Amino acid sequence: MTAASRIALDLRALRARAYVRIVGSIREPAWVVSDAVLPAFAMAAFVLLYRALGAPRSYETVAVIGGILSTYWLNVLWGMGAQLYWEKQQGQLALYFAAPCSRMSILAGMALGSILIVTVRSVIGIVIGFLVLRVPIGAFDPGALALVFVVTMAALYSLGMLFSSLFLLYGREAWHLCNAMVEPVYFLSGMYFPLRTLGALGAVAAGIIPLGLGTDAMRQVLIGEAARGLLPVRTEVALLAGLAVVLFVSARGALAYIERLSKHEGRLTQRWQ
Amino acid sequence: MSLRAAATLGWRIESNWADPLVFVVYALLRPVGQALILSGMYWAVAGQGASPERFAAFYLANAFHEYVVRVLIGMGWVVVEEREEYETLRNVCVSPIGLPRYLAGRSLVKFALATTSVVIVLGIGWAIGVRWDFGAVRWGWLALALPLGLAATLFAGFLVAGLALMMPRAAISANEGIAIGLYLLCGVIFPVDLLPRGLQELSLVLPFTWWYEALRRFILGAGASERLGTLSDGSLVLALAVTTALLGVVSRWGFRALERSARRSGRIDQATLF
Repeated sequence: MTAASRIALDLRALRARAYVRIVGSIREPAWVVSDAVLPAFAMAAFVLLYRALGAPRSYETVAVIGGILSTYWLNVLWGMGAQLYWEKQQGQLALYFAAPCSRMSILAGMALGSILIVTVRSVIGIVIGFLVLRVPIGAFDPGALALVFVVTMAALYSLGMLFSSLFLLYGREAWHLCNAMVEPVYFLSGMYFPLRTLGALGAVAAGIIPLGLGTDAMRQVLIGEAARGLLPVRTEVALLAGLAVVLFVSARGALAYIERLSKHEGRLTQRWQ
Repeated sequence: MSLRAAATLGWRIESNWADPLVFVVYALLRPVGQALILSGMYWAVAGQGASPERFAAFYLANAFHEYVVRVLIGMGWVVVEEREEYETLRNVCVSPIGLPRYLAGRSLVKFALATTSVVIVLGIGWAIGVRWDFGAVRWGWLALALPLGLAATLFAGFLVAGLALMMPRAAISANEGIAIGLYLLCGVIFPVDLLPRGLQELSLVLPFTWWYEALRRFILGAGASERLGTLSDGSLVLALAVTTALLGVVSRWGFRALERSARRSGRIDQATLF
């Protein structure tokens, strides 16, 4: 197979997996509730907590932005991290490893489809936050927002691709890992309060989990000084881009390891193992 | 005896993937994380007029909400797991123990785990400044209110389990949705006075709204809601008792109706996920 035909095959696989993710999500309306409506409700509760505490209104905006981005984290965990585990449970994982295309193109397609569908669903959070709760937001630079969003998603979903291999190794613990990585990560990423509040702990966490840096950068683009940002936006974008590269390369290595393991031992792809 | 067998089985199913220490760490990460999020929000605004007493009221209710999350969602999850993953729900339904007693037994483990979480979250709260005077706690009223709220949690759990019986594929979303809906409606981390009209009235039908207010008042000395603050201690506990009793009746009738309907429509063994 020539390099050109291999690239064409991988691109087709990417598009096909993205299509399955998008169409599958549309066919499962109940997931809109768990993926978009419930995080928006939790976000509303946090906004009302700030109101009850008499905090400045900019904190409400901080909570709404975090709440909207939390839907992406849930998707990274359950839609990317746990995906290979689901496939194994459904008996389809062996087909992934038997397919002639690159496994990374399948994961990349899954990530692309996820980003598109979650972005559409995040409208629910935007409506609840800015229209129903009337949280204040001023003028912002859409170009800067788009740049920060793209870099954040690249880093986040590269982490999701890495998780998908790691969670598969942990077998039944994948479920518990996903559950355990929601609230603690929200705390360490400052999803509902400025990351700066956590001091050194927040800075260290931001260097490991891209969610905190991305949320902080998006807040700074959207509400400026009131976001009480951790680092200048340019620095955060550069760090996120670096994280995206490191995580993508790590995901590739982890997937190759999983593939080797599945072929040598022959158990990894079997249901109930 | 059958209750104990169901509880033992529940413990083994829930914890057999890890050694007990790892299991407990995993089980506690979520409630501790949630408590830390609230703390982070408070630390962020502490220097800007936020009162520590008010934060303590919300932190306390959030700690006790773990019973609702763990037991209520947990009982719905038992149905999902038994039907979808282990494919043994039909066996439980036809066994002499019966589904209601089995669910009650499984809920005991969840009560135990929730109690551990509440104690640890309150302990963390104590360390970060959410404290109260034990001498000022109204123990008599608290002894009445606490079990009423726990009973309400169990009743609501049966209703959620009944709904899960009827919704093979959507049960996971429904379980989570009910828990977060209650978090919002019952004013766990804000006073129900902030809810729009209509939702406020709906929140007063739910025993958990009265439970959280009672816990705040009897442990910390003051509630969070101005609207409920005008009631005497006796009226507050009476409202909690009445709404709990009503939920008990609805739960008993509702679970039976839902189970009957699920049997008739063949949903007891309708696996759709794995």
